[in-house]
Amino acid sequence: MSMLDAPTGRRVAPGFGVLFKTELLLALRHRADIANPLLFFVTVLALLPLGVGPEPALLAKMASGMIWVMALLATLLSQESLFRGDFENGSLEQMALSPQPLYFAVLAKSMVHWMVTGLPLALLSPLLGLMLNLPAAGYLCLFFSLLLGSASLSLVGAVGAALTVALSRPGLLLALIVMPLYVPVLIFGTGAVQAAIDGYGYSAQLAVLAAYLAAAAALAPLAAAGAIRISTET
Amino acid sequence: MHPARKQRLILVIFLVVFSSAAVGFITYAMRNNMDYFYAPSAFAAGEVPFDKRIRAGGCVLPGSVKRAPDSLDVRFAITDGKAELQVVFDKILPDLFAEGEAAVVTGRLLQDGTLRADQVLAKHDENYTPPEVAESMHDKASCAGGAKI
Amino acid sequence: MEVFLAWQWFHRLGSPRWFYQKTGAWLPWLALASAVLLATGAVWGLGFAPEDAKQGNSYRIIYIHVPAAFLALAGYYIMAVGGAIGLIWKMKLSFAVMRAAAPIGAVLTFIALFTGALWGKPTWGTYWVWDARITSMLILLFLYIGVIALGRAFAREQVADKACALLALVGTVNIPIIYKSVDWWFTLHQPATIRLTKASSIDPSMFYPLLTMIAGFYCFYAWTLIAHTRVLLLQREWRTQWVREALVEEK
Repeated sequence: MSMLDAPTGRRVAPGFGVLFKTELLLALRHRADIANPLLFFVTVLALLPLGVGPEPALLAKMASGMIWVMALLATLLSQESLFRGDFENGSLEQMALSPQPLYFAVLAKSMVHWMVTGLPLALLSPLLGLMLNLPAAGYLCLFFSLLLGSASLSLVGAVGAALTVALSRPGLLLALIVMPLYVPVLIFGTGAVQAAIDGYGYSAQLAVLAAYLAAAAALAPLAAAGAIRISTET
Repeated sequence: MHPARKQRLILVIFLVVFSSAAVGFITYAMRNNMDYFYAPSAFAAGEVPFDKRIRAGGCVLPGSVKRAPDSLDVRFAITDGKAELQVVFDKILPDLFAEGEAAVVTGRLLQDGTLRADQVLAKHDENYTPPEVAESMHDKASCAGGAKI
Repeated sequence: MEVFLAWQWFHRLGSPRWFYQKTGAWLPWLALASAVLLATGAVWGLGFAPEDAKQGNSYRIIYIHVPAAFLALAGYYIMAVGGAIGLIWKMKLSFAVMRAAAPIGAVLTFIALFTGALWGKPTWGTYWVWDARITSMLILLFLYIGVIALGRAFAREQVADKACALLALVGTVNIPIIYKSVDWWFTLHQPATIRLTKASSIDPSMFYPLLTMIAGFYCFYAWTLIAHTRVLLLQREWRTQWVREALVEEK
C-alpha cells in the first residue's frame, strides 16, 4: 500500500502515518486488550494495603516502588500480543517481505502500544499514589518517570515479543528475556521518585530515562526487525 | 529519490538523531550528583541538606573512635583531608572498619552538624599487601594519604 | 592463490566434522592443564600466599572470585561473537559454540556472585548491596539464563540459534557497563586491581597464585566449552555418516 502511494517520492515515509493510524484503530477496537493490563495494575495495587496493613508510613515507603513494579508487570502482560495477531494472519510475514524498512512498522506498533498501555498507566498513577499514601512531592515525578519509562518498556519489550511470537506457548519466556533490559528503567524510575520524595532535584534521573528512551527508539526496532525476520522465516 | 532509498535515509536520520539525543541526555545526567554522596568538606561548606537521607564517605580519623561503655553507640569522625564530619552510629560496625580506613556512611544530617548514621560500610581499596610489606611501607592507614574514596 | 587457501582454511574451520575430529586429541591435554593449574593455584593461594595486611585470610576467596568473574565476562563475548559469526557466515559450528557457552557462563557468573557475597559479609559488612557493579553482574546472569531459555523454546534448531544469537548480541552492551561501573559511579565494590597499562596494586606473592588460577580457569573453560560443543555437534549432526562412525569408534 505504501509504496504505490508515493510514486513521486514526495511524501515522507508514506507508510508510517498510515501504519500508525491503522494500528491505533485496531488497538482501540480491542478494548479488552487495553483494559486488562490496567485493571491488573489497579487491582493489585488496591490489594497492597490489605496485604501489608494500612499503616501510612509503611505504605508511603513502598508506594513508588510498588507502582513502578506493577507498571512494569502490566506492560509485560500486554507485550505478548504485540505481534501475535499479525503473525497469525500472515501479515507479519508480509511486512517482513516488503521493501519498506521493518524499523518503521515496529516503531509504529510500539508507539501505539505505549499509547494504550504506558500512557494510561502514567495517567492513573496519581490516583494510585493517593491510594498508597505517596508523599506529595512524588506525584509529578512519578507521572513523568512513568511516561518516559513506559515508552522505553514498550520499545524494548517489542524485541522480546518479536523473538517469542513464533512460539505456541511463550509463557514467562518473554518476561525472562526482557527483564535484564527492563532493570535499568526500573532503577532510574524509582530512583527519580525517591529523589523527589527526599526533596532533591530529579532531573538527572529523568535525563537518564530520556537517554534510555532515545537509545531504545534507535536500536530496539532494529533488533525487533531482525527478530521478526527470524521468527517468520520458513 | 527512489522511495525505498528515501525510507532508508529517513531511517538513518532517525538513528542519528536518537543516538545523539541519548548521548546528550547521559552527559547531562552525569554532571549531576545522583548518588547524594558527599565528602566531609561539602558538609563543612554547608552544601548538604539537613534531615535527608544522604551518603558520606571518608577516612576514619585515627583517634576519633569513641565507644559508649554500656551500649553499641559509637562516635567517630571521617575526613577527606580537608574537613571532618562527626558520625554517630548505634549498631554493629563491620569487621574491616578501623581507624585510618575508608568508610561509607548512610544517614541523616542533624541540626548540630553530626551525621546520624543508619548504615556504616567499610570500603576496602584495590590494594593487597602482606603484613610485612605493609609495615615496611609504614602503610597501616590506607587512606590517610588522601587516597580516592 | 593465498587468498584461496586462506578461505579454504576458514571454511574447514567451520566444518563440524573437522572440529570434532581435531579437538578429540586436545581434550585430555586441556583437562590435564586445567587440573595442574587449578590445583597449583589453589594450594599456593589458599595455603602459601601471605595473608593480607587489612583483610587477613578472608581475602583468599579472591582466588576463586576473580577468575570466575573474568571468565563470566569473557565467556559472554565468546557467546556473542559465536552468535554473530553464525548469523553473518551461517556457520553451524559457530552456533554450536554459542549454545555451548551459555550454561557455562551462567554457572561462572553465579559463582562470581556467590563468592562475592561470601566475601562481602566479613569485609564490607553486608552480603549484598545494589551498587552498579553487583547489579550489572546480576543482569548478566539473567541474560545468560534468557539465552538458555530462549534456545530451548524453539522446535527448530536453526531458528533457535538465530534467536539466541540476536538476544546475546543485544545484551553485549552490558559488558562494558559491568567493567567500567566501578570507575563511572560511586560503588562499594573496589576498582580494578589488575591493570593492563599500569602496575597492578597487588603484591607479587599474592599475584602469581592469582594468575595461576586465572590461567587454570581459562583452561578449564576451554575444556568444558569444547567438550560441550562436541556433544552438541553429535546431537545436531546425528544423521550424518561421520557421527555414526564416531559413535561406533567410541564404543
